Amino acid sequence: METSVVREQPILKVENIHFTYNGEKKALDGVNLDIYEGERIAVLGSNGAGKSTFFLNINGVLKSEEGQIFYRGEKITKKNLNHLRKNVGIVFQDADNQIIASTVMAEVSFGPMNLKLPREEVVRRVDKALEYMNISDFKERPPHYLSGGEKKRVSIADIIAMESEIIIFDEPTAALDPQNAAMLEEVLAKMGKEGRTLLISTHDVDFAYRWAERVIVFCDGKIIADDTPLNVFKQEDILERANLKHPMMFDIYDILKENHVVPDEERYPKNISEFRNLIGQIQSQ
Amino acid sequence: MNQIMIGLLLVMAAGMFAHGLWKSRKHHHHYQGIGHKHGGSVLSVDYYAYASHMRKWNATFKVIFSMICLLLCLIFNNIYVSLAVILIMGYMAVVIGGLEFDHYISMMMIPIVFLLFGSAAIAVGFSWDPIGEYNLSVFGLFYIYCSKASLWKAAGLIFKALGAVSALYMMTLTTPLSELIVVLRKAHLPKVIIELMNMIYRYIFIMLDTHSRMKNSAESRLGYVDFRTSCYSFGQVASNLLIVSLKRGTDYYNALESRCYNGDLMFLEEEKPMKKTQVVGAAAVVALLIVIKLGA
Repeated sequence: METSVVREQPILKVENIHFTYNGEKKALDGVNLDIYEGERIAVLGSNGAGKSTFFLNINGVLKSEEGQIFYRGEKITKKNLNHLRKNVGIVFQDADNQIIASTVMAEVSFGPMNLKLPREEVVRRVDKALEYMNISDFKERPPHYLSGGEKKRVSIADIIAMESEIIIFDEPTAALDPQNAAMLEEVLAKMGKEGRTLLISTHDVDFAYRWAERVIVFCDGKIIADDTPLNVFKQEDILERANLKHPMMFDIYDILKENHVVPDEERYPKNISEFRNLIGQIQSQ
Repeated sequence: MNQIMIGLLLVMAAGMFAHGLWKSRKHHHHYQGIGHKHGGSVLSVDYYAYASHMRKWNATFKVIFSMICLLLCLIFNNIYVSLAVILIMGYMAVVIGGLEFDHYISMMMIPIVFLLFGSAAIAVGFSWDPIGEYNLSVFGLFYIYCSKASLWKAAGLIFKALGAVSALYMMTLTTPLSELIVVLRKAHLPKVIIELMNMIYRYIFIMLDTHSRMKNSAESRLGYVDFRTSCYSFGQVASNLLIVSLKRGTDYYNALESRCYNGDLMFLEEEKPMKKTQVVGAAAVVALLIVIKLGA
């Protein structure tokens, strides 16, 4: 890792978990991972690499056959499983598979109600989550009269209302139009700024590169890379194994480097505005 | 006496009609907020309920009131009571609830058609001899006849049934199913049924959506080109729907579990207070129905 700062205890520690769906091929094959507070982690890997299975495992919905999960140093067993579910929230890929209630308010209240909180607290959390996702006006509406982007926002509010420490997004931008994808990225940036611990699985390497501070790559049920975005995207063999491409900015920088437009300093820009700054600096030199 | 009753009902109808006109002049657009989604008539009922102005009313109150009206209509068995119930319920759904009159009438046409056919059998009889006050000879073979008494009986039956249906309509057209489920839960219906209702209600829309997508995809590949192919495609779509549902069921359960579901489906319910004017109004309606029964 890039820093030598002694990090505090991880929120979630995953040790050597294995998981198989009804005796077939291994979906998870010895996964180890530490998640620290405030980290923004992008999870990459092709379909069927084990990302979703991993998420369901660290949320406690699926039980691993082998290995342990520790939440703040506490080993997760059957007894304190709800502890894990409470503190690790998943926003599922398809909002229609997550939304259960027949009004937005009832839907968002489902998690807090299951936590057996007093009514006032549930009301407070629901209102707060709706406001956070900017959907307070939809409170009374049934989910089947919402658009895809609105449903996505409801499914995120679901998890915000639970006040989980770690929030997982399973391919959040899939099936969203550009406007809603931009909305989602804004929300993610806002959450990142607030120091929330976020895990996002995605196929969008550009997004992973500009948003994440740590990238994890899954391949055949194993984690094959776990590093800063820059370091991961520099490893050609990893990218090839996981069928990943370079982020666009990476390729552009490389082309400019080859043509000696920019110096070979590995100052890969993360987004368009960084790129603009870089070019501006070089031109003024 | 009958003239007084008819007069009373006419005055009521005129008053309601006037109020409706006056209101529709004030707000022209009844449907704000919720975007319209087209579907079958079942879906439109669901949609009307969400768009109704009476949605703000306490659901339990609406259910109890409509049940009382329904029962009075059936027990009193009086044509004037039935007519009054039909008028009042229609007034509530259309004028107070803000449902468009055309929509209400097209909803009412469903039971009306059934009732007309059903009660025709009561009003009309067949005989070899010309009997009854009115009869019609058919090719000189037999007679179709009806009497004043049988006509009155049929009319009474139609209006009684229509009164009961309109009371139920008032309830369903102004109360979303999710709120009705809450009322049923408060009435201590078994938990299993309540939870099933909740899930089935939500799932109906997902299934309809999935189904329409599958049907479109079959249609785009000429799946409904002739009768034989249509039958085949229908079977394919239906069996696929089952498989998809099973798969989604698992996903659904995972999503539930991930939010600490432990066997009890619980949601936050909004508390909608009953208003004094509503209770007084309901009491006045019940009193009016009783007065009509006693007077007739």
